[in-house]
Amino acid sequence: MNNPELKLQIKRLLVENLMLQTAANEIADDLPLFGPGGLGLDSVDALQLVVALDKNYGLKISDAEAAKQILRNVNSIAAAVQQHGSPAR
Amino acid sequence: MNPRVILITGANGGLGQAIARSFLRESLDNRIWLGVHENVEKAGMLVTENPERCRTVDLDVRKPEAWGAAVAEIVTRHQRLDVLVNNAGHHQDSLLATMALKSWQNILALNLEGVFHGCQAVLPTMISQRNGRIINIASLSALSAPAGQANYAAAKAGVVALTQSLAKEVARIGITVNAVCPGYLDTESPAMDETQRQRAMERIPMRRFGQPSEVAAAVCFLACAEASYITGSTLKIDGGIF
Repeated sequence: MNNPELKLQIKRLLVENLMLQTAANEIADDLPLFGPGGLGLDSVDALQLVVALDKNYGLKISDAEAAKQILRNVNSIAAAVQQHGSPAR
Repeated sequence: MNPRVILITGANGGLGQAIARSFLRESLDNRIWLGVHENVEKAGMLVTENPERCRTVDLDVRKPEAWGAAVAEIVTRHQRLDVLVNNAGHHQDSLLATMALKSWQNILALNLEGVFHGCQAVLPTMISQRNGRIINIASLSALSAPAGQANYAAAKAGVVALTQSLAKEVARIGITVNAVCPGYLDTESPAMDETQRQRAMERIPMRRFGQPSEVAAAVCFLACAEASYITGSTLKIDGGIF
């Protein structure tokens, strides 16, 4: 599933909502968002991300297991948005 | 001061009314939503007095779906929700040895679970705004745990703990969460006989009951921009008991 435009939107959403000190285009599609060696997000970032994805794409992430799967990296978020979300609002 | 959208639960009661009036006085731009359920008369009067600035919304705080509908109505109208005051509460006193399970469950559902549902309902909006104020009305009973109030004291102590825990979770998103613990207020007087009132009075160093407006002023302060560094606090307002 390749959609560079959507992935860039998601990276911008990450940077803006989580106030990251990284440029959107410097985030690799497969960079882990959590854990060592990744973007270094934590559970509070995840909370904000879940709200932002719902607000921007109507993507509902209703439980922790789904969040774990969807929020792995930009690729997995983009896939979930394409599968379950709606166009950017 | 920027206009703010404020939701107050239990807005038909004496303290809820005082809090609403305090926010009305604070700024002409404040928009106050009065969460009410079953008893609506006093809240309705407040709306009649301030039709442009006050509205009632049906809100049984024990029901998450009621919260969802109320918050959706507010956010649809204003596109924001700045302040939640979880004020709805009730006590049903008896000794624990003879306390009906139903009484325990009812009091926890109203006083503690209602706060849980309320916080969950408003957080997505406040997180999106990266700003919000949640003020939970607990009670001196949370700290003093009087005999005959095991259900109420446990529920209100739970509110204090919930407040502290949630405050840590959302602090860096610009949302503050604080608890207020009122002591004896004049709103309770009708429920007390003269002997009970005298006994209570003897416990209060100021030798008087508090006015609802004195608690409301603190709630307003915790909701204001200048209180932005106060979070996870429990403010007791009790005339010096302890």
